[in-house]
Amino acid sequence: MKHHLIPRIVTKLIIPLILLFGLYVQFHGDFTAGGGFQAGVIFAAGFILYNIIFGIKVGQSILSINMTKNLMAAGLLLYVFVGFLGILLGGNFLDYNPLSSNSVQGQLTGVFLIELGVGLTVSNVMILIFYSFNHIDKEQI
Amino acid sequence: MSTTIFSLICALIFLILDGVDVSLTEAAVGAGISTILFLSTLKHTDVKIKKSNKKISPLIGLFLLLLLSLSYMVSDLPEYGKIKVSSESYVTKYYITNSKTEMGITNVVTSILAGYRGFDTLGEVVVIFIAGISVLGILRKRSNL
Repeated sequence: MKHHLIPRIVTKLIIPLILLFGLYVQFHGDFTAGGGFQAGVIFAAGFILYNIIFGIKVGQSILSINMTKNLMAAGLLLYVFVGFLGILLGGNFLDYNPLSSNSVQGQLTGVFLIELGVGLTVSNVMILIFYSFNHIDKEQI
Repeated sequence: MSTTIFSLICALIFLILDGVDVSLTEAAVGAGISTILFLSTLKHTDVKIKKSNKKISPLIGLFLLLLLSLSYMVSDLPEYGKIKVSSESYVTKYYITNSKTEMGITNVVTSILAGYRGFDTLGEVVVIFIAGISVLGILRKRSNL
């Protein structure tokens, strides 16, 4: 699709907005609608749009397949790590109160970290599925 | 395409019913990502169908068992259109009144998902992770990922 002028220009304009909206949904999910799951999907959609327009090779130079595998595992590990951090600091599994001296602040920190883990996993799984579907295509042609 | 349109209409219905979080998810997942994935799957399909030699009779038994157990559970669902359903229960009231003071989070959906029901969300993330791994496992042989 690289030779189509209008999609290319419009995509260049739109992608920063999509990624910014994804980050907004991610980090503002405590107060407005949204959270890690939605943010991950929106972020992945922006990145997949980039891949469709500029080609998968260019996209993979930004985020390679190995990187997506590592990041999707890192998100899940971050979630579990926060859970065990609660045990280590003297609480229950996934208990955020001991994360900070102020229990409300601890809850906010815990929710923030967990949403970050969810977002990382979801966005990278979506990108990985897209990559693996479109790799076959290149080999068959 | 029709699933995409259906998802968009669903997202609008959820928005009208004040379920903003669900609406956002439906729009992003149902109308956005799954359309792309469906289309990229359709590129690989063929008109011809290969005959498989695998036996499917045990799978049919499993399917019927699942269908029976699920339809048994349907009888436990609240009546359609009943006003006093789950929002009357003790736990829901607790979440709504204490989310702001206990967690400092004004969006109750987020506080339930990540805070009060954090363990369930952990399970959800594991399910998504497993989905990613299985797609990779199925498609790896053909594409040398």
